[in-house]
Amino acid sequence: MTIKSIGEYDFPSRSAQENYGDDQLVSVWFQNTMWFASPAMFRAPREMTWGDFKAQMFVPFAQEDPDYDPDAPRTWTLHGSPFEPEDGQTLSELGVRHKDVIGTRVAA
Amino acid sequence: MTLAPEQKKTKKPKKLSMKARYEALTRGLDWEPSYVDKDEMFPHLDYEGIKIHDWAAWEDPFRLTIDAYCKYQAEKDKRLYAVLDGFAQGQGHLSLTDASYLNAMKIFLQGVTPLEYAAHRHFAYLARHFAGPGPRFAALCQSIDEIRHMQTEIHTLSNYNKLYSGMHNWPEHFDRVWYLSVPKSFFDDAMSCGPFEFLIAVGFSFEYLLTNLLFVPFMSGSSFNGDLPTMTFGFSAQSDESRHMTLGLEAIKFLLEQDEDNVELVQGWIDKWFWRSYRVTALVAQMLDYMLPRKVMSWKESFELYFEEQMLGGLFEDLAFYGIKPPRHVEDAIQEKELLSHQVYWTLYQFSFAAGFTTTMPSEEHLNWLSESYPDTFDTYFRPLWDKEAKNRENGGRHFAPGLPQLCQVCQVPMLFTEPGDPTTLCQRESEFEGEIYHTCSNGCQWIFEREPEKYRQAWLPVHQILAGNCGGPTVPDVLEWYGLQDGDAGEYLGSRDHQNWVAWQGEAAADTAAPSETKAGA
Repeated sequence: MTIKSIGEYDFPSRSAQENYGDDQLVSVWFQNTMWFASPAMFRAPREMTWGDFKAQMFVPFAQEDPDYDPDAPRTWTLHGSPFEPEDGQTLSELGVRHKDVIGTRVAA
Repeated sequence: MTLAPEQKKTKKPKKLSMKARYEALTRGLDWEPSYVDKDEMFPHLDYEGIKIHDWAAWEDPFRLTIDAYCKYQAEKDKRLYAVLDGFAQGQGHLSLTDASYLNAMKIFLQGVTPLEYAAHRHFAYLARHFAGPGPRFAALCQSIDEIRHMQTEIHTLSNYNKLYSGMHNWPEHFDRVWYLSVPKSFFDDAMSCGPFEFLIAVGFSFEYLLTNLLFVPFMSGSSFNGDLPTMTFGFSAQSDESRHMTLGLEAIKFLLEQDEDNVELVQGWIDKWFWRSYRVTALVAQMLDYMLPRKVMSWKESFELYFEEQMLGGLFEDLAFYGIKPPRHVEDAIQEKELLSHQVYWTLYQFSFAAGFTTTMPSEEHLNWLSESYPDTFDTYFRPLWDKEAKNRENGGRHFAPGLPQLCQVCQVPMLFTEPGDPTTLCQRESEFEGEIYHTCSNGCQWIFEREPEKYRQAWLPVHQILAGNCGGPTVPDVLEWYGLQDGDAGEYLGSRDHQNWVAWQGEAAADTAAPSETKAGA
């Protein structure tokens, strides 16, 4: 234990996966615009498909940017590595973990 | 023979000098325990590893006694309350530069006043738990100061509460509203440390390194913007603040002089608490550059003067004698001075629908001032955002973020800061502890997290808690109701209740001042 304490110091995480049932927290980080001041955080079912995640969470948020183009091809990253999700895959199948950050930008 | 009673020649007792009274108060009242041992009486002194050999070596440079303390404080309070009465009776609020100025005071009331109370509580705790009478009494005085500050701030700003939004529910806001978890988590962290770490966290890092960055701009801002009561409160508190700063400095020197082994522990605390304190002052940065209708100085100028010149250039050169180095990650803070206020205000601007204050887009004149104040960064990185927002507003929009931000696990600020040296890439730091991922906003916060992950994993992060369903319900109106916000507290300033009232009152005030001269002209 790194904390110097007068007694035992062991408290659970307040954001642990088990607090969210079958869901998990996922953040989306827009990497080619500063319009959104920080990444956005969503609560999404682990078994939600990528297509649903995009339609129900990503797009309604992204549309707040007047320059958002729904047809523009986008690239995605997870843990800094390129990530090519398909609409029918679920978040858990894609390896998206609780509190992961998905990066996105319009493809060059 | 009757003898007349002998007249005793009694000498009037000699009044002790101030120094002797202080000695009697702080040294004469200490005692050796007889039925418990010292470790039982002071159980918190050893576990942090700090070694104290001689508590009597603590010298309080002010040597205050209770009677002198009460006399000074009573005089200051008398002056403050006279100003408050005069201001309230004379409708002084109408002499502010603009009602939007009060947004800075709402943040002060919501975010700083509860910190005064937290400081009061914990200095009282130190006054009980230090084994030396000198530091015990110094901590007691500071504890009393802090609760007095809280009370005078509440009284000062309650004048505005009758007339303006956002000031009616600050204690609950402090416990619940998202941005207030930034200062709250700072003090919760400090109060759950040992007594010596708290002393370095608050007495030194906050009060000494950064209090000037907090109080001087706030109080000068009040003065520049016609807020006489807040300015008077600021002057009233200022003498206490200098005493607190001296206590902080005295504390660090005392610890460093007592034992060489203390140096490494103290350095670690300076490294941690500089960064935590600096992150809290981000709220001040945006206040200076965006919330004051009449500007005092930019955040950048303020940071250069109070931190770089006075602290790094002066204090840390003195502390080098003891083997203390400037705080870790200070270079990142220096680089950020060009960006900090803009990034923070842009965030508050888009999340102010859920805040206890309002925001609006800077005017053209204001944008030009920002360009002049930040010639190397504003036009390149931030003006384009406001240009885009101007078009957005023309098209009937006003940018509010339609979701919740990812937060830093340590400072709890939204993850809005950029990579050192790269103002267009948000900084994302990821750590894993016992199988769970944690994100931090900077090198500084990541270092703090990884040093004590057991502490920060239990942090109550507003966004995580909203999404866990612990904050009133799943929708934005549910959460705002749970916050205790009312119509008019939050959102866009232009067209808000405060703005509409201000325009109406200024019209009446203008009519009132115009009336006598018209009469005069008629006569």
